Amino acid sequence: MTEELLPVLLIVVPILGATLPLVLGLFRERVGWAVAAGTLSVEAAVATWLGYAVYIGDQRVVHVLGGETFGRKEVTVGEFDTEGFIVGIELVADALSGLLVVLVALVALAVLAYARRAGPRRNAFYSAYLLLTGGLMGLVLTGDLFNLFVFLEIVGLMTYALVASDRSGASAVAALKYLIIGTTGASMYLVGVGYLFVRTGTLNMVDVSRVLAGEPAWVENALYSEPLVVASFGFIAVGLATKAAIFPLHTWQPDAYSESPDSVTVLISALVSTTAAYALARITWVVFSPDFFAANPRTVELLLAIAAVSVVAGSLLAAMQRRVKRVFAYSSVAQFGLIVMAVGTAVHPAAGDQATQFAVYGVVVHLIGHAVIKGGLFAAIGALNSSAGARYVREYAGLAKQRPFLSGSLAVLGFSLIGVPPAVGFVGKWYIGLAAVEAELWPLVFVVFASTLLTLLYVARLLEKLYFTPLAAETDTEPRPAVAADGGGSVSYGMVALAVLAAVLAVGLGFAGAELTDAVQPLVEAIQESSPEVHP
Amino acid sequence: MLYELAPPFALVLVAAVLAAVLPRTPGHAVGVLATGAVAALSWIVPEGTYIDVDLFGVFDAVVYNVDPFSRLMGLIFGFIGAAAVLYSYASDADGSQTAIALSYVGTSLGAVYAGDWLTLIFFWELMAVTSTLLVWYYGGRAVRSGFRYAVLHGIGGSLFLAAIVWHYAEVGTVAFTGGGITAGVPAALAAIGIGVNVGFVGLHAWLPDTYPSPHFAASVFLCVFTTKTGVYGMYRAFPDGHLWIAYMGGAMAVFGAFAALLQSDMRRLLSYHIQSQVGYMVAGVGLGGAAIGHGGKYYHELATAGAFGHVFNHILYKGLLFMTVGVIIYRTGKESLDHIGGLGRHMPLTAITFAVAALSIAGFPGFNGFVSKGMIIGAADKKHLEALWYLLLIGGVGTFLSFIKLGYFAFLEGEYSGTVEDANIGQSIAMVSVAGLCVLFGLVPGLLFDILPVSAEAYEYTTYTTGHVAEGLVLALLGLVGFAILRGPLHHVGRVPDIDAVYNRGFFYGGRVLVVGVTELYALLDRGAVRFVSATYWVGANPTLAVLRVSRLLPQSFQPAWTEEQPQTDGGAPSRLYIRAGIGTSILLLASVLTVVLVVVL
Repeated sequence: MTEELLPVLLIVVPILGATLPLVLGLFRERVGWAVAAGTLSVEAAVATWLGYAVYIGDQRVVHVLGGETFGRKEVTVGEFDTEGFIVGIELVADALSGLLVVLVALVALAVLAYARRAGPRRNAFYSAYLLLTGGLMGLVLTGDLFNLFVFLEIVGLMTYALVASDRSGASAVAALKYLIIGTTGASMYLVGVGYLFVRTGTLNMVDVSRVLAGEPAWVENALYSEPLVVASFGFIAVGLATKAAIFPLHTWQPDAYSESPDSVTVLISALVSTTAAYALARITWVVFSPDFFAANPRTVELLLAIAAVSVVAGSLLAAMQRRVKRVFAYSSVAQFGLIVMAVGTAVHPAAGDQATQFAVYGVVVHLIGHAVIKGGLFAAIGALNSSAGARYVREYAGLAKQRPFLSGSLAVLGFSLIGVPPAVGFVGKWYIGLAAVEAELWPLVFVVFASTLLTLLYVARLLEKLYFTPLAAETDTEPRPAVAADGGGSVSYGMVALAVLAAVLAVGLGFAGAELTDAVQPLVEAIQESSPEVHP
Repeated sequence: MLYELAPPFALVLVAAVLAAVLPRTPGHAVGVLATGAVAALSWIVPEGTYIDVDLFGVFDAVVYNVDPFSRLMGLIFGFIGAAAVLYSYASDADGSQTAIALSYVGTSLGAVYAGDWLTLIFFWELMAVTSTLLVWYYGGRAVRSGFRYAVLHGIGGSLFLAAIVWHYAEVGTVAFTGGGITAGVPAALAAIGIGVNVGFVGLHAWLPDTYPSPHFAASVFLCVFTTKTGVYGMYRAFPDGHLWIAYMGGAMAVFGAFAALLQSDMRRLLSYHIQSQVGYMVAGVGLGGAAIGHGGKYYHELATAGAFGHVFNHILYKGLLFMTVGVIIYRTGKESLDHIGGLGRHMPLTAITFAVAALSIAGFPGFNGFVSKGMIIGAADKKHLEALWYLLLIGGVGTFLSFIKLGYFAFLEGEYSGTVEDANIGQSIAMVSVAGLCVLFGLVPGLLFDILPVSAEAYEYTTYTTGHVAEGLVLALLGLVGFAILRGPLHHVGRVPDIDAVYNRGFFYGGRVLVVGVTELYALLDRGAVRFVSATYWVGANPTLAVLRVSRLLPQSFQPAWTEEQPQTDGGAPSRLYIRAGIGTSILLLASVLTVVLVVVL
């Protein structure tokens, strides 16, 4: 019974914790990190408990906000009485959200180890950090479409703040760009939700799904082919695709990643787009369900087309970049393209049970794998920047000799990103490719294959510089005022450890691929049966 | 069973390794023991013994399989192997050469004891490699002929391999099914591929080219294994025979015999006779089907038995011939008939054993060749294939003629100046024991019938009938008369060009054209690739300029506006192309995407 409290704790703990640095800051300076570390340790413990309940205890943990007054009750709509529709807001931890909860909690805690030395060290930064974590948790756990928008905005606002926390002009501009584009995207999402609310009269994901399927007595048929519903999917997809940085809606993302402080880049690259993609997957699979896409095949085809373009364009743009941070920022555009591709493949009318299964596996494994890989990559890049002042690809020449651990992590993570077995990047890509093969969507198969080659293109360029280009002449490397200006100039064990840990995890998770896919089996079955709830 | 622990090829290959590392004398001893053991094993190991392995989880390979045909081959290969190793030892062959020869024997044994096509082709190809090494080991002129040999056998082996792959694709198993290779293209490929090994007319030129080149003891090995394994393979591929193969055998018998007649180099002469004799065997294999020619009662059994009997006998007398000729070369250092003569009085033992071998190969009554050749000729007669029958008889006349020539010019005519010793003791033992067998199997044909893979009851052949003996004597008489007439011209014929004169040139000039063509084509591609890469480099280094140049091709109104201040290069560094979208553009993009999405989905 106590498990029902866990979802709400996960959201409340960091939000309450966020007030502490500001309050305690009145008495002591630089208390933020300690508060954040304490809060996030609690958060991680709670998240692990919840994960245990969901995956080992085979539970679908539901919390209804507001207590006894609310919950699933008899509702009278006009002359129809209906059992089991909800009043209020649900928080749901099921086979899909459970993994993300654990991921968010652990990554947020791990990045703290990096931020201790890398900064920023102001108390306000840690308040924003905790708020962001709370927002991400809410985004992952909520079972309510409007509530999701609220958390999307919390996450967005905190990210804008964190991006700008570098206090440089460039980061302010990047944050502003992100603010405007991100808010526009969120608004699109809100419009979509509004359409759905107008037609279905509910905001709860499960209920919306049931109404769309035509289950209650007051709707005569399934609503799948109604223009309002189709348009709402269009708005929601575009809104969330903007948040997940799918080409050509990605324009905010490279600036935001490259201009924010290194710690922030690690955190947001690992979590923010990931949760947006999660939201898109959840709404696509569970709220709209495969039946919707069977009725509107063009919707999913368009989604797939955009995703495929994103894979190719993102990779090409990544290969064209000179700043390492931008290389991997664009790489995220490509990787989320892959994920959205698999999201679409799972519900494509041509996908049989097998293809759906593989596509869902692909999404889950690649979401988690990409978070680990990309977080680790940015950690390694940030540490190389603070220690050796290397920001551009050409400045990486010969660094491998000076920074063997960071370079080694970068290499392992890079290979994982390419999809070299047995790393997790391979497992995710393999399932995505396999799903496309099973569904006989050959262009997608080609794109998956091409993405591997294109990833190789930019990763190999970096590794070639690191390992095979001799160190630049001393005269070139001598003037490095940038190091001092960055404020860091040194690398802590925590920073290196985070990169190494990510590299180890990237390989280790590859071996745990079977466990990951077993964990989401209930989700696969729910999608295959077009069930609105994911029951174990 | 214990026998499965010691497949013959493994025994001999181990002996080959030992012979390579041991000193000369114990090395040869091990070789004699191993090959002798193989002969003994072939005799005692019961039919149906086999070793199977699961290859790559796909192929059920049977690397050792004992059936009547492989037993016969193993028996004679083992025996002649032992005799040849002994002869090598007596002929000052060094340990390494004998080691290579033993590896050649071992791979041949692997081929004849193979229980499936895959193992067969595996050892078949290895046999080509080891025999090439054996030729190459001698150096000098042998290197070039060995290379030609390798190329031709590489092609033949590949064709046979292709046939097997095709057969596998059709049948789904590599095991011998008893039905031979799939008819159609695989059969044609197999016939040509094996045809290289047995020396089909036109594919035979490697025989007289290669076998006279290496050490004379090596020739004793070479003359035995490759062609006879070929005959065995031909039987495996075509157990029901084929009329074309039978006629090809007839053509080989005639062509080989008369080409031999024109040779002066002794080993070259003998090599043509291999083709001729293998022609009889191929004819026998070709006739080995009930559907070939006139059905009659079990005449195809007679043909198959004759073919394998001829394999057995031929190995004995051809090995013996190469040994006697080897002794002449050993003692005189001369290869050509033009430079020797009157050796009979100096080397009586060699002369006598040569006479036995010559009478055997020519099929004179009382010698083993008479038995098996008679069976094949008899089968052709009984099946009413007159043309083939005449071909085989004419081949027989040619054989008499050329061996009368060889014997006459080497041992009888003229006087050898200087002293020449006869064969040494080791050579003598090897030669006399083989010669004894030639006579024994000729006088008591029942012994041969007992070991043939086809049981004697199946064909009921009586060797010594008036007709058969008369046939043999008439052929001999024709040979004598012919030689009496042709004696003058046959001496000093000079070198007669063979088919290889055509295709060696064709190969050379064709190869030149090919090499030059490929080189030029590659150079062309290379230039193209280099240009493409440098163009790409340039675009990468000067993206702005590239865009500028491309945009000049566009209509005026579409061209982007370039400000004069736009730097083309950035302080020596390549210029950069800024393609970042501003906030406004981004929102425009977002709105456009949304519009497109809505338009498409609604």
